[in-house]
Amino acid sequence: MAEKKIGRRQFIKTAGTAGIGLGAAGILGSSVKVRKATAAQTRSIPKTPIKIASVSFLTGAAAAPFGIPGDNAYKLCAEEINKNGGIMGRKIELKSFDEAGGADAQVKLARKFILEDKVDVILGYISSGNCKAVLPLSDELGGLIIAYDCGTHVLMEEKRSPYKVPKYTLGFRSSAHLGIDNIGLALYIKQYYPGIKKVAAINPDYAWGRDSYLVFETAIKELVPGVEVVKALWPKLFTTDYTAHISALIGSGAEVIHSALWGGDAVTFTKQAIGMGLFKKARMAYSRGEPYPQEVGMDYPEGQIICCAGTHYFLYPPTDKWPRNKWFVEEFQKRYNKYPTYPCYHAYQAIYTYKAAVEKAGALVGGWPSKEEISQAASELSIETPSGILTIGEDHNGREDVLVGISKKVKGYPFPILDPDRMAIFPAHQVNAPAGIRTEDWINSWKA
Amino acid sequence: MENWIIYILNGLYFASFLFLTSLGLSIILGVMGILNLAHGSLFAIGAFMAAWIVGAFGAKAPITIFVIALLAALGVSGLMGLLLETSIIRPMYQRALEYQLLITFGALLLIEDLIKMTWGGTAYYASKPFDIMGNLVIGNNQYPLYFLFVILITIMAGIGVWFIMSKTRIGIMLRAISMDREMARAMGIRIRKLNTLAFGMGAALAGLAGALIVPTTPALLGIGMEPLIMAFIVVVLGGLGSLKGALVGALIVGETRSIGIVFFPEIELPLLFLIAVIILVSKPQGLFGR
Repeated sequence: MAEKKIGRRQFIKTAGTAGIGLGAAGILGSSVKVRKATAAQTRSIPKTPIKIASVSFLTGAAAAPFGIPGDNAYKLCAEEINKNGGIMGRKIELKSFDEAGGADAQVKLARKFILEDKVDVILGYISSGNCKAVLPLSDELGGLIIAYDCGTHVLMEEKRSPYKVPKYTLGFRSSAHLGIDNIGLALYIKQYYPGIKKVAAINPDYAWGRDSYLVFETAIKELVPGVEVVKALWPKLFTTDYTAHISALIGSGAEVIHSALWGGDAVTFTKQAIGMGLFKKARMAYSRGEPYPQEVGMDYPEGQIICCAGTHYFLYPPTDKWPRNKWFVEEFQKRYNKYPTYPCYHAYQAIYTYKAAVEKAGALVGGWPSKEEISQAASELSIETPSGILTIGEDHNGREDVLVGISKKVKGYPFPILDPDRMAIFPAHQVNAPAGIRTEDWINSWKA
Repeated sequence: MENWIIYILNGLYFASFLFLTSLGLSIILGVMGILNLAHGSLFAIGAFMAAWIVGAFGAKAPITIFVIALLAALGVSGLMGLLLETSIIRPMYQRALEYQLLITFGALLLIEDLIKMTWGGTAYYASKPFDIMGNLVIGNNQYPLYFLFVILITIMAGIGVWFIMSKTRIGIMLRAISMDREMARAMGIRIRKLNTLAFGMGAALAGLAGALIVPTTPALLGIGMEPLIMAFIVVVLGGLGSLKGALVGALIVGETRSIGIVFFPEIELPLLFLIAVIILVSKPQGLFGR
């Protein structure tokens, strides 16, 4: 079995190539557009603070693993930006709001932000349902909205390929969608477990679980010919008893089990599966499993395949080689006594995408840019983040490399970490469908 | 064969929660005629109470503290039941069903907010008792002893309720109320006090179920919704106000779900409703309803 250690050389090669290539293309490409779009070259910069509404789950099942860490990261970043002079001299006035209450409540809240509060930008949403409900308001009401954590691939895609991009002029997602997680898992399985014959799946029975499984199933069947799906289970969201599911998975004889369970569901399933001995018979492949070893602690089993929703990990890029990650991890840990998890990195990406787009557009127009100009600057923009380089595609969707690894108990950490010798980075072009092409269509075209 | 033992045990484990929750719901419905939508919230209070106690004090002696937490959850949920009954449920006895639904739904929202104010919106973990109890080896499979502990506690609670309802004066009076309220009043039974007691007892059982679940799942807002829906299925299947009905209904639902997930995973929930429909069509009052 080929084992690969991420060394300095490989890291610099991956991050550097992506960064320089995409960055240069992005910055050059979009700056031409902004220049064309703007005639006036000098404008005033308002003295008032920039109003940012950040929306994350602050209560409920998604609060502890995603919402609260994400919100904490927003606060940390806003303070850091303000400490360094704000954005073009304007300080950020960040207000946090709860994402709970369902899509209707979020639509009402977003309308209020745009029409009454006149916020400069909304950074928010963990739930894919909320993203799908709120993002159309960006163009409808003329408000800049950056979705930061929701994962559904259909948010920015249309029903048929090829489709026109961007779907929304003022709507963005500053992270990659669930395609990278599930394609990344399939690529990792192909690389490290090429001989597997039987896979199973347990995913929550709604769009997130169904979409995640669809992408994984399509990819694994393309990449590992002959693999058989022996069981696909669909527990309801917030199920408290997984014993029957675990027995069914054990009985299926699957070697690898795909899962997009999240939050309390992922913790509950893991705990009960430990007790019932599932991990002695099969290994899990969690599409966004990065937060859970820290959540479960030393009981979290070794040997589980974990994807990081990008290259978002407190140990990657290595902090001695990527100072931005060192700063982020240390600051976050100092304030909140936890390592940052992927939603924290996503929050960083959202707020710094906005900052970079404003500064780029501002430099071109010679003052504070309009929302449309910020939007044009953000398209095909590349920025340095704690995770490496993030590029916003012309479809207004983030494009990222993806990190997949396997859990291992290592001295010095109070929970299993990703085995440093068995991490794999799959570059953005390998896991993100090209803009204008649906993810499933793209995967299905691999053979051809 | 070993697998089948595990499937049956899984069904019994799930049935335990259903039995405790639906028993409370059934007592309240049978004795008082109140359809209590806030029953799941009383389950949630028990879950949060137990998780908070185990999390805060359970580091050194988790089992002892967990037993204390079970009693505390039972007590606090029971107390909340008493408060609910005397404050907002009592004026609803003579009202139509829709008023009851409205007021108990209001109580559900109120308790959820109360939980949010008391414990915040984040998850509480209390897995220590589950972790340290270890596992039983059954052939090639292992089964957590904690699940057997839950089944045992449920059997004890069931025997306790049976004893109260069958062998004590209070239980006989409660049964009399559930059979004929007016006649019971005419016989001099103090219905008002017994209503409060029945509601408190039902609430306490829901709290106990909530407390038993938290070592295997974090206590979160909304944790009571799934048990509430399932308990309604059980009560409808078993028949209103029947202890035996709650037991048989819980066993049917628990085992059907356990085996259904293994063999028909796509229709996990529809399968339960299908069975409920078949029973209701053939026996509209439920298996043991009057």
